[in-house]
Amino acid sequence: MKTSLFLKTFTALILSSFLVLSAGTAHAKRLTAAVADWTGGEITCQVAVSMLEQELGYRVDRIEFASGTGLWEAIAAGDIDFACESWPSYAEADEVMLNEPLYYEGEVVQEYSGSGEVIAFTTGIIGASDYYVPKYFVDANPDFKGWEDLNKFKDQFATVETGSKGRLIGCPVAGWNCHDQKRLDIMGIDFEAVELGTEVALLAEAQGSYDRQEPFLMYLWEPHFFFGKNEMVGIGLPPHQPCDSFTEANNWQDCGMGSWPASNWAKDYTMNYMNPETMQSAENAEALAFFKKMKFANVDQAKMLVRVGDDGLSVEEAVQEWKDSTNDWQAWLP
Amino acid sequence: MAFTQDTSAFSSKNNYQNLIIPGIIFAALLFSIWLVFQSEDVSEFPVFVTDSFTFTAWVNQGEDFLKDNIKVYTRAVAAYVKELYWMLEDFLLDSSWVFIVALLLIPSLAFGGIKLGFLVLFGTMYWGMVGLWGSAMETLALMGLSVFLSVLVGVILGIFCALSDRFERNMKPALDVMQVMPAFVYLIPAMFFFGIGGAPAILATMIYSMPPIIRLTNLGIRQVPNETIETATAFGSTKSQVLFKVQIPLALPSIMMGVNQTIMMALALVVLATFIGAQGLGSDIWVSIKKLEVGAALEGGFCVLLMAIMFDRFGKAASRETVTLPVDSQKFYLLPQTWDIYPTARYIEKPLQYIHLAVAFIFSSIIRIFSFVINLVVSLFNKDYGKLIEQFINAHYFMFSGIFILLGIIYYDSNIATIGSFPDSWNLSIRDEIAAGVKSLTVNPTFIEITRSIRATVVIYLLRPLDTYLTYLPYWFTIGALVIISWKAVNLRFAIVTAFLLTFIGACNIWTEAMITLSSVLISVLLCFVIGVPIGIMASYSKRFQNINEVILDAMQTLPYFCYLVPVLMFFGGGSFSALLATIIYAIPPIIRLTVLGLSQVSTTYSEVSRSFGGSTLQTLSKIKFPLAVPSLVMGFNQTVMMAFAMQIVTPLIGGKGLGLEVFNGLARSDTGRALAAGIGICLLAMIIDRISLAYTKKQRDALGL
Repeated sequence: MKTSLFLKTFTALILSSFLVLSAGTAHAKRLTAAVADWTGGEITCQVAVSMLEQELGYRVDRIEFASGTGLWEAIAAGDIDFACESWPSYAEADEVMLNEPLYYEGEVVQEYSGSGEVIAFTTGIIGASDYYVPKYFVDANPDFKGWEDLNKFKDQFATVETGSKGRLIGCPVAGWNCHDQKRLDIMGIDFEAVELGTEVALLAEAQGSYDRQEPFLMYLWEPHFFFGKNEMVGIGLPPHQPCDSFTEANNWQDCGMGSWPASNWAKDYTMNYMNPETMQSAENAEALAFFKKMKFANVDQAKMLVRVGDDGLSVEEAVQEWKDSTNDWQAWLP
Repeated sequence: MAFTQDTSAFSSKNNYQNLIIPGIIFAALLFSIWLVFQSEDVSEFPVFVTDSFTFTAWVNQGEDFLKDNIKVYTRAVAAYVKELYWMLEDFLLDSSWVFIVALLLIPSLAFGGIKLGFLVLFGTMYWGMVGLWGSAMETLALMGLSVFLSVLVGVILGIFCALSDRFERNMKPALDVMQVMPAFVYLIPAMFFFGIGGAPAILATMIYSMPPIIRLTNLGIRQVPNETIETATAFGSTKSQVLFKVQIPLALPSIMMGVNQTIMMALALVVLATFIGAQGLGSDIWVSIKKLEVGAALEGGFCVLLMAIMFDRFGKAASRETVTLPVDSQKFYLLPQTWDIYPTARYIEKPLQYIHLAVAFIFSSIIRIFSFVINLVVSLFNKDYGKLIEQFINAHYFMFSGIFILLGIIYYDSNIATIGSFPDSWNLSIRDEIAAGVKSLTVNPTFIEITRSIRATVVIYLLRPLDTYLTYLPYWFTIGALVIISWKAVNLRFAIVTAFLLTFIGACNIWTEAMITLSSVLISVLLCFVIGVPIGIMASYSKRFQNINEVILDAMQTLPYFCYLVPVLMFFGGGSFSALLATIIYAIPPIIRLTVLGLSQVSTTYSEVSRSFGGSTLQTLSKIKFPLAVPSLVMGFNQTVMMAFAMQIVTPLIGGKGLGLEVFNGLARSDTGRALAAGIGICLLAMIIDRISLAYTKKQRDALGL
């Protein structure tokens, strides 16, 4: 008869919990945010979340979700309310889902004509991406002028896994849509792009090679704390040229040499993007007003990146430290 | 001597026949290697097949159709579940930590005594002290709700199964398939229909963890003896009365066992559900893995482990029958009852007994006063009810005092002083120390040299050759070989199914990825054998080693499987080798376990006989024990293969390739068709290998007359 006692206790506990539940306070202002999967984006997210939580009285649920088209669809569907710091040249869904121009300091930096399922506002961070080699490699090989010379030195870049080809420590996450291998193939660089899965894995691999003073080619972006400790040189990819046919709908028809993806990334005016229905509701008016006004500076993010990447602070601590040290953010509040 | 002569004569007679099959296999192997050298590029299915069979596009079109037509309903379900989840989560997070600890501790004390009480107290305090209180509450909320729904629906389905043979026949294949599917597979359709976050995680977990409760409810009801039912019917009970008053109560122990299994399965998937945006401990572990924070990941994993042990022990304690002790023995509260014979143990237990009696006395007296007052009040209206209520309260004094304590905590928290969430200052986290320890090892030049050479050896001599072999081998040869194997091992019908399934994989244009997955699974299973069997042999000879082994293996099986990525990533960095290593660590326990089992099951008579004929320990092992343990080993092979396949879905996180990466890329790019095709591909490969090795095990067992 122990089981029936158990069942009764269980029922009693459930009932009593529901009693307490009904008395509990409800969180009216509750938002769900996707935390970005790279340190810079995480910082931008934490800045936004700390404003919402500490200044505007929201409760924000943070969800870990890989960035990419899937995240855009989750936002459009209303599963996630907002996400931070999307880089337009990485996002492929922005063309499809945004339909309002993107402003930076009052000027239009990008026009959109999509469905309008998602809305976006600039964060203030301006990003740049490239492929880099360590400076000691360039110093030791004066013949190396830029990406055209990579094939000449490919033996030095080869690893066990890539065999006779050179190795590019490529974009770590597939969802970022870097098209590394495609770029290498079109440009005729006999290298293999290795996708390590996370930003940290990419950094660990690169840092290890740097510490051993081996030649290596890596993908990276600015602002990033890796440049603080290690001297890196860009390989001068051709300047960005868009290619309209390079989309999934067109089965990734490329435009040949010199056009995306066989070119450098564009200068990225990064944006926070959100679900219009949720954000335009009356109770989230303050949050929307904040996102419209938010203007986070590269310099500030770079400082926090160093605190996180080199000094071992958590993202929360670094952001709190910055927030306590300055009043710049007061201007973003509605 | 006669023994050996006999066997040699026996084998020489069959020598010729014995050589045919190996000969054919060897020839086929040579031919395939020749084929590999002939092919210029990786083998791909003919373009006209892959172009006309656009599974990916069909799925995506189907998704669009569903989005327009069905999603309204699935979303409504998800929204409802989400409301429930938020309610439960808010309750757990907003309640004071003391209340939650008491809520978990009091039932544990009631059913498991002081021993379980200590475990629960340690577990809950550990969550708080490593700073993961909030996450643990989120995981509890996810798990609690999915178990609740799972038991609710599962019991109903189980009852239907028990009442209708036809329903059971239709349900059984579905349950069988559900048991083979790797847990991760449930998350993709859940995301497809219900979106991202807690709600789809709960719904996926509910479906994933339902099979045991359905099976055991069905079993429990069907096991009720016919005589009992007939007696009840003879006394004029209606059908529903028989069901609810006789069958279900008698099936309760079986149902409780199902609940216990359901809880364990739910915990495993809830942690994994971080991939579709669920919060909780899984999310913490995943983030730590992504950031290479080995200490934090380990602590998160430990929290999950403690939670699993707590619920497992609680479930077992709650469904256990009360043991009646002999009159002269002393009841033990903390130490194992079997230690009753040792005076020291009795001495330690004595004070505990007094404390227990004293506490029981105090509580029962308070409750007695309470029930007396209630009786007085109720008696004003109805004397009988008053008496009944008083008896009920007195009989359940423990439950009522528990409720009083909980109410007391709530009152204290809301009216006297806010207790709030777990205090930050009670921190016992050692994640920084763990991380520092690992770091000091990874910068050690000798260590770097060793790991690098292992990595290079495995990649150059195993991984790359087999990858190349399988991907360059023409697809028709691979399909042909697997079809013949499944024909020989299982039957013709399954051979046809195999051909069909493999063609599906090829036609989806993921042949190369499938072969890479197959290659890494095969190599990891091979290495599992090379490492696991010797460990198993050692364990079977040393009792102490076996005990240590058991504890480690138990712990390993409770950890969510992406925890295994942590140490590997830490010591070996990212890449296909690390993916392989993580797979080996995850999939090795069954091999070790079943080697031990196989060897220790061999009746001692055989080994005695061997020894009496002058066989050395080594001879006994290799000639007698090992061959007899083969069926058990093949069983281990089977489980290891399945686990290795399951692992393929998370290895892309640290640089694994193949179908798993396709799943990841598909999900990240919101290309459901691609993710689904690759996910199905993994399942199909796993299914084929599973069937073949199961059939082989059966043959071996039959041949040995086991």
